[in-house]
Amino acid sequence: MHDHQLQSILRHMPAGIATLLGPELRYGFVNEAMQALLGGHTPTGEPLAEHRGGLAADLLEVMQQVYLSGRPYVAKAYPFASSDPELPNATATKRYFDLALEPLHDENDQPQGLLLFAVDVTGQEEARQRAHELSLETRRLDARLRVLTETAPQITFTVDAEGQYEYVSPQWYYFTGQPPTADLNAIWPLLIHPDDRLRALYHADAARAAGVGWSFEYRLRRHDGQYRWMLSRALPELHAPDKPVFWHGAVTEVHDQRELSEVLRRGEAELRFLADSIPQLIWTATAEGFIDYYNQHTGDYTGLSAQELGPTGWVALLDSSEQAAAARRWVHSVASGDDYEGLYRMRRHDGQYRWHIIRARQLADSRGLRWFGACTDVDDQHRLREVLQTQYDELARTNRDLDTFVYTASHDLKQPLFNLRGLFEELRRTATFQDPEQEQLLAMVDEALSQLDGTLQELAATVQDQRELAAPTENLDLRSVLEEVLLGLRTQVQEVKATIDLELSAAPTLVYGRANLRSVLHNLLSNALKFADPNRPAHVQIISSISEAGQPQLTVQDNGVGMELRQDPATFFQLFERQNPQVPGAGVGLYLVQRILDSRGGHLEVTSTVGQGTTFTVHWFE
Amino acid sequence: MNHIVYMSRAVRPLSDQDLQELLDQCRRDNARHNVTGVLFYSHGNIAQLIEGDPSIIEPLFERIARDGRHSHVTKLVDKPIPGRSFSNWSMAFHPLESEGFTALEGFLLPNQVPPTPETLTIADALLVDLVRQAVFGANTPTTPSPNLA
Ligand SMILES: Cc1cc2nc3c(=O)[nH]c(=O)nc-3n(C[C@H](O)[C@H](O)[C@H](O)COP(=O)(O)O)c2cc1C
Repeated sequence: MHDHQLQSILRHMPAGIATLLGPELRYGFVNEAMQALLGGHTPTGEPLAEHRGGLAADLLEVMQQVYLSGRPYVAKAYPFASSDPELPNATATKRYFDLALEPLHDENDQPQGLLLFAVDVTGQEEARQRAHELSLETRRLDARLRVLTETAPQITFTVDAEGQYEYVSPQWYYFTGQPPTADLNAIWPLLIHPDDRLRALYHADAARAAGVGWSFEYRLRRHDGQYRWMLSRALPELHAPDKPVFWHGAVTEVHDQRELSEVLRRGEAELRFLADSIPQLIWTATAEGFIDYYNQHTGDYTGLSAQELGPTGWVALLDSSEQAAAARRWVHSVASGDDYEGLYRMRRHDGQYRWHIIRARQLADSRGLRWFGACTDVDDQHRLREVLQTQYDELARTNRDLDTFVYTASHDLKQPLFNLRGLFEELRRTATFQDPEQEQLLAMVDEALSQLDGTLQELAATVQDQRELAAPTENLDLRSVLEEVLLGLRTQVQEVKATIDLELSAAPTLVYGRANLRSVLHNLLSNALKFADPNRPAHVQIISSISEAGQPQLTVQDNGVGMELRQDPATFFQLFERQNPQVPGAGVGLYLVQRILDSRGGHLEVTSTVGQGTTFTVHWFE
Repeated sequence: MNHIVYMSRAVRPLSDQDLQELLDQCRRDNARHNVTGVLFYSHGNIAQLIEGDPSIIEPLFERIARDGRHSHVTKLVDKPIPGRSFSNWSMAFHPLESEGFTALEGFLLPNQVPPTPETLTIADALLVDLVRQAVFGANTPTTPSPNLA
């Protein structure tokens, strides 16, 4: 082989080759690869130290050592920060070379220089470094996994396709109390609650056969002999395309959660049961005010399903006049959180409306703010109250009637008694009695009269309790009642020489209580006679007519002394009020008249002029 | 004629641009399909009422429910109604920059939402008032439904 041929081969070799000559290590032969490695500038005959390119100082020193000692040296994976001139912005890519430093000797075995031989091992080096890093990382992950598996509260495990346990974390031993020597595969199934064993084993086997993961719960015997609910979950480790060979999983104690959720489930079921069995409309609504649960009874009562009612359909069940206000109130409660309460009529499936109290309150439960509502049927109570109210009103009226009757009766009887007393005194004064027994008889009559007077007064007090004495009404002929009354007032009529005119044809009859009518007429007439003007003969006109409103009315007009009317006519008739102090008994009568008229829905009007007379108008019913 | 009311949550706050795009698209498509109603939006809360032929609005609701812009779609009511209560389709929300919106057809500020139509039953008017309150809060001065007044 020719020398220059050899040189050409060496020059183009993919490994770097150079000779460095003499103790100064001057550049001799440098092939292309080496030239690139050294930064491109390798002037032949110049010492390496002056043109060392990318060569580090330590390497230069080592080369000098090799030259001096004459012992070859190989630097493995030596890094060169090659500033590749072909890369524009000279990204210093690090490359690695195995550098062989071989001393050269002349024929006399004298050191002549060094042969430098560089093989690019960057690929291998990087792979080695990656492998190293990977192994570090793996070790780190391994450690972490170990810490996790051994400190997590779960039992972790690895099981193979045949169901043989490859690994179980120490928690298994803590939990079960089994010795580390226990045969896992034999013991584990025995620790499963007999009622759950078959199911648990079947689940796991079936999942392994199907190549899928699993998740199921079973009871496992704890070291203290108690069975605790555990959740077993595992996933297959897939090595495509083969079938999975391992399942990794964890067993977690879920006993407390399970018990709790069991209690909750039972609690919820019990509450539902309660809510569904009580005869009340019970419902819940979201924080926004949409009803999301109606109990069974709501369906029974309304005849509508929860679906048909919808989140706001309840309002349509109310009486149409009450819907708007009820809806507005609900919007307000939802906005403010204020309790909702109202009394509404709610339509039943058969169309009947029944009174309900609707109450709702906002409470927080596990799902956040919610509304809890109830509609209580108070229809019976409500109706009862209405009946009671009517009865109460009736009783109150009857009471008033009785009250009036008592006053009327006692007052009516007083006048004849007064007359009787007068007659008796007159008799006593004028008649002479020889028989002392007759004198005794007179004393007895006197006493009887006093007794009667007393009895009358007592009656006024006690008769109030005689509830059965209601005043029934009847169709009365005014003329006959008036004549009766005038007969009783005969003396007074004669006393004032009164003429009485009756003008009754326009309304000759009246439906009224007889005693009440008599009392009214008696009082008005006796009043007219009492206040007669002594300077002229009394004239009393009694006119029965029909008012503009079509109701009967009676006018009693006299030509008596007349009276000063006060501003306020209401106080005019006050009990025992005396208009004319010189005339006894005025006021009481008018009070009675007013009470009687009042109790029948009528009233009394009066006009009067002093010195000319007084006119009373009785409006019987208006 | 049916109407559907639902509420939902936007998966992320809708920007003015999101809202305007939705407004434009819905105005166009709803007019084309004779769908009327209203949409309320505020702080990620959404409520919408749509009315129209069930053969149109049922699939529309399905499409809306699957729309990735919102979740937790809860249908509150879906039932026949005697007639429409809304004459077109509009959207009420608070844009960050309201200038560009006020002139837009079908756009309303929450406090401009007209009273809930009287043609709705009281139960439905209550529902609309409740969803509006749920979206805009209790303090937005809106005119209550005249049937609730
Ligand atoms: C909150 C919300 C409301 C929407 N309302 C309507 C609507 O009323 N009408 C409509 O056509 N699309 C509405 N969309 C848009 C639809 O979900 C859907 O994007 C649109 O109908 C186009 O559907 P397509 O791309 O399948 O044709 C709404 C979307 C969202 C997020």
